[in-house]
Amino acid sequence: MNNTDLVKKSLGKRYLKERIFRTLGLLSIATAILFLVFLLTDIASKAMPAFSQTKITLPIYLDTDELGVGASNSVEEIGQADFRRVIRDALLAEFPEVSKRQEKRELYSLTSMGAEFQLRDRVMDNPDLLGQTLEIDFMADDDVDAVIKGSIDRYLPENDRRVKDQKLDWIEQLEAEGRITTGFNWNFFANGDSREPEMAGIKGAIMGSLFTLLVTLALSFPVAVAAAIYLEEFAPKNRFIDFIEININNLAAVPSIVFGLLGLAVFINFFNMPRSAPLVGGIVLSLMTLPTIIIASRSAIKAVPPSLREAALGLGASKMQSVFHHVLPAALPGILTGTIIGMAQALGETAPLLMIGMVAFIVDIPQSVVDPSTVLPIQVFLWADSPERGFLEKTSAAIMVLLFFLIAMNAIAIYLRKKFEKKW
Amino acid sequence: MKALKKITLLVSIMAAIQVQAAGRDYISVVGSSTVYPFSTVVAERFGKSTQFKTPKIESTGTGGGMKLFCKGNGVDTPDISNASRRIKASELQMCHDNGVTGVVEVLIGYDGIVVANDINSHDFNLTRKDLFLALAKDVPGEADGELVANPYTHWNQVNADLPAVKIEVLGPPPTSGTRDAFVELAMEGGCKEYEWIKATKKSNKDQYKSICHTVREDGAYVEAGENDNLIIQKLQKNPDALGIFGFSFLDQNTDLVKGSMVDGAAPEFETIASGEYPVSRPLYFYVKKAHVAEIPGMEAFLNEFTSEKAMGEEGYLTDKGLIPLGEELYKEVRENTKTLKNLEL
Amino acid sequence: MKISALLFLLVLFAAFSYFMARQKITTAYRQRKQKSKIMTLPKYFGYVAGLCSLIPALLVLMVLQVAEEPYITSEISTYIEQTNIELDVNNQSDLDLFMNEIRGADTPEKVSAMSAEKLQVYQRFHEIEVTTQRTITAIVLSLAVLLGVLAMRKINTDTPARKVFEKIIEGILLLAASIAIMTTVGIVFSVLFESTRFFGEVPILSFMFGTEWSPQTAIRADQVGSSAAFGAVPLFVGTMLISFIALLVSVPLGLMSAIYLSEYANKSFRAVAKPVLEILAGIPTVVYGFFAALTVAPMIRNLGESMGLSVASESALAAGLVMGIMIIPFVSSLSDDVLSAVPQSLREGSLGLGATRSETIVKVLIPAALPGIVGGVLLAASRAIGETMIVVMAAGLAANLTVNPLEAVTTVTVQIVTLLTGDQEFDSAKTLAAFALGLMLFVTTLILNVIALHVVRKYREQYE
Repeated sequence: MNNTDLVKKSLGKRYLKERIFRTLGLLSIATAILFLVFLLTDIASKAMPAFSQTKITLPIYLDTDELGVGASNSVEEIGQADFRRVIRDALLAEFPEVSKRQEKRELYSLTSMGAEFQLRDRVMDNPDLLGQTLEIDFMADDDVDAVIKGSIDRYLPENDRRVKDQKLDWIEQLEAEGRITTGFNWNFFANGDSREPEMAGIKGAIMGSLFTLLVTLALSFPVAVAAAIYLEEFAPKNRFIDFIEININNLAAVPSIVFGLLGLAVFINFFNMPRSAPLVGGIVLSLMTLPTIIIASRSAIKAVPPSLREAALGLGASKMQSVFHHVLPAALPGILTGTIIGMAQALGETAPLLMIGMVAFIVDIPQSVVDPSTVLPIQVFLWADSPERGFLEKTSAAIMVLLFFLIAMNAIAIYLRKKFEKKW
Repeated sequence: MKALKKITLLVSIMAAIQVQAAGRDYISVVGSSTVYPFSTVVAERFGKSTQFKTPKIESTGTGGGMKLFCKGNGVDTPDISNASRRIKASELQMCHDNGVTGVVEVLIGYDGIVVANDINSHDFNLTRKDLFLALAKDVPGEADGELVANPYTHWNQVNADLPAVKIEVLGPPPTSGTRDAFVELAMEGGCKEYEWIKATKKSNKDQYKSICHTVREDGAYVEAGENDNLIIQKLQKNPDALGIFGFSFLDQNTDLVKGSMVDGAAPEFETIASGEYPVSRPLYFYVKKAHVAEIPGMEAFLNEFTSEKAMGEEGYLTDKGLIPLGEELYKEVRENTKTLKNLEL
Repeated sequence: MKISALLFLLVLFAAFSYFMARQKITTAYRQRKQKSKIMTLPKYFGYVAGLCSLIPALLVLMVLQVAEEPYITSEISTYIEQTNIELDVNNQSDLDLFMNEIRGADTPEKVSAMSAEKLQVYQRFHEIEVTTQRTITAIVLSLAVLLGVLAMRKINTDTPARKVFEKIIEGILLLAASIAIMTTVGIVFSVLFESTRFFGEVPILSFMFGTEWSPQTAIRADQVGSSAAFGAVPLFVGTMLISFIALLVSVPLGLMSAIYLSEYANKSFRAVAKPVLEILAGIPTVVYGFFAALTVAPMIRNLGESMGLSVASESALAAGLVMGIMIIPFVSSLSDDVLSAVPQSLREGSLGLGATRSETIVKVLIPAALPGIVGGVLLAASRAIGETMIVVMAAGLAANLTVNPLEAVTTVTVQIVTLLTGDQEFDSAKTLAAFALGLMLFVTTLILNVIALHVVRKYREQYE
């Protein structure tokens, strides 16, 4: 057999190997993408129930005696009135057969803890409602909510269920009377953190993230762009500059938790800055995103062709003028893209902020950069530990919101890149 | 024109970041993870029903909280420390040494420590002696006075009536008051049953403590942090493991976990309140007297926490699993809190 | 007056100097007989004048601001001592506490709510505050005016204004670049400082080579805690185990994806697939951790049970798997870059000799791109080692010295988080141990990164 025949014989096998190899490549990409889809659908399906809220409609008689409100109807008095009592009265009126203390407690737990504050706010807005009987939709407690949504399976035997038979009977009776409605869960976007799953919201975390990112942007953007300009255009070639460059490259790959240690040791311990404040969080995050933006800006500046610089110089501009008037505007799209991506990374960071104390239970919405607050990824982390079913869906919903912001930011970055991309 | 634009931009940014050295206008609470659920509920209601800011609450563990609390009287130190055991003399001494001379103790109720596992898993009927033998670092050997490293790997080796399951217990670290209470009530309770060990209590207290309180470190006891909710999650994923945490967590999750009997008593509201269940302890929080006048809202918060609405027999804290004080004791606590009675140990 | 108002005035005055100087030079230029000698635009003279008045004033303002607090505190302390209020002014925390209400009194209601003696102190405090602020304003403004006028006088057409201006700007840029160094110095210093204190209590050899990790020491003298063993070997092994599993997942998948994308895919497929892969890198790690703890770990557990194996609920496998998926983009992106950088001539030569595409890739391209790929893998490894959230949520807490992926292990990053949330006393060995671990982490990732970058850079030069 001569060589040609030998080669022809082995050809089949080689082509087969080729096909297998190619398929493997395709499969790898498919696996990665499949995992991504699996992750997103899993979390999205868990998150869907979080956007609806069950309400119980009850007739409430705003008896001024029961409430303990005097004749003056002043705002303070209404604020101190016992709205819990009238709600309880309404529940008892629905189910008059309930008498034992333990049963009564179960009955009262049908409505949310926030229901009395709901009622109070309504009466405070319109004190004329006192003395009338109204039909009001109250937020249902998270157990009721879970039953209606099906997260608690009502067909399981009683021992396996969080909601016992008697409570289930009441819920089914209310359902039969048409007193149970579901609506969009605005609380999720309007409230801060809470111990009750039905009242918990992410507004506090979103504002906290916003303030933190604001501080991060304000600190890192100017410094990073200035550093990048210096390193690319003005830096002499000496060891000091080499040292700076090595530092920047290394900082870009340092684990984020080490920045948290830095924040803890230097800013909290040494400078005594307030714990849990977006200010400190912003400073730590800006140190983290600095290298990212510097590196992105440097490549953007580097990509501007020398002809542009030389043309400016040839027309008599100084180095500084050519940089600021010609190179920088040309590199700006790339710099902006890098900044947005750096901010998106900072938005998703959790570990360094854990170290500086943004892990406390904070209900109020932060109003400034020094108010204690938490950020969205940490809120996810905190809620992930709670066993109530309500929190499971809230955590997933918070993740969806976080992913939404991230995708939006990345999309803007890509759009800017595409729009302003110039082929030199 | 360009210069003017830049100037206005600069000034507006500076206006947005106004860092003023104003005082702290919210209450800062640290301490026990067992008291945390109760503290947060009161804090939330307090924030909603008054014009004061909602207190900031951190779960650091009783020991960790005491350390922060007793660091000093400054504005940057916490105002209230939650505790799932009484403050120790050494801690109160540390407070006094650092200038915190006014400490008000508030007893809020009782709590049982339960040894729980996944609801679908084996039933455990334990005695305190079983707990000691299973979890101590050194256990009594054949002869009196002899101690050997804990050799038991399965529960049925400790007590033939228990299931043949590997010993794996998730419990609190030394910063937790629950840990202190557990070693004192459960482990010491079981360890005392050995006569010779009981005798050492009189002769060599330190050795007695070290025998009865030291927990094994070979992996059978896992320190699972201050987050009791996390322990419950881990128990669901690991049906052979047992978890140690406060009764309120059991009460709020009866569809997920169940508590083991200890010395014949099941962990229930009545048995803990009556004392029949042996592993129960009181819950406290401690207030810095010096801060009551300085931090806005402190008085109102104390009022809310000790009110009938919250701590009373029918209060909302009872709904969360707190075992309330009796009538007499409650009145006393309310009075002491109102007058800010200083703690003397 | 308030800081922002003062800053606004300073900027305003600088602007004024700018306009004045510019005007002066413009008129000077107009009066010149020979127009050709103009080398600098008038605005640069303006800039110089403006900066001359602004920058020193700002620096002085910063210094005065820092000094203002201690000064006011000492003044009010002396005042309190003179009254008969019972307060030990030398005790900083007592003083802070007393002043808390006074400082926070920003509304008339709060002022009227204070006690009589506090009101007294409040009034004096207010006086002192106002006086100091007025003094500072006066000093800073007069300095600015003085310098501004001086600059305006001394500036003439011979001043090399543009050069001066550009030198100042260059200095500012250099300062910005140095912040990167200051950050590194800060990290190294703070971590090193606390670590040396730690190594004073626990010898470095027993830390690095000890096999028992029980850091939860007693926090009181009369408490019995763990035996304070700080041997970090189980942590290192745990970290390595999980990172190894992660690399096992990400390197084959990442490499094959990169190969497909760079060699086989057409433009439109590449345009879609590449960004989608990048998304994997953009998802926050806390989301991965949540997913790993809630979905992946139970799945692996059930799978293992059905096969008769005993799988821990927090197996290293679960954490490693999810981490591997997260790292795929790192490997694929870098490999893609290096593969594209291989010159077309090598490909064509191989194909010309009759090799199939896959044979070309395996026998020619990968060896040529190998240093770059290795560099990419090292960078991915360093990312895996430093990852925190996935392991905090999905890996265990008990230090377990094992290489069995089905058991629960703990990593360096998890222990750092556990040790530092809660009891944070900076002189206990427990808290300092976290810094020592942080030091180990920093050094390891640093070495990996340096090697990786060195390798990648060295390779890139071969083809240029």
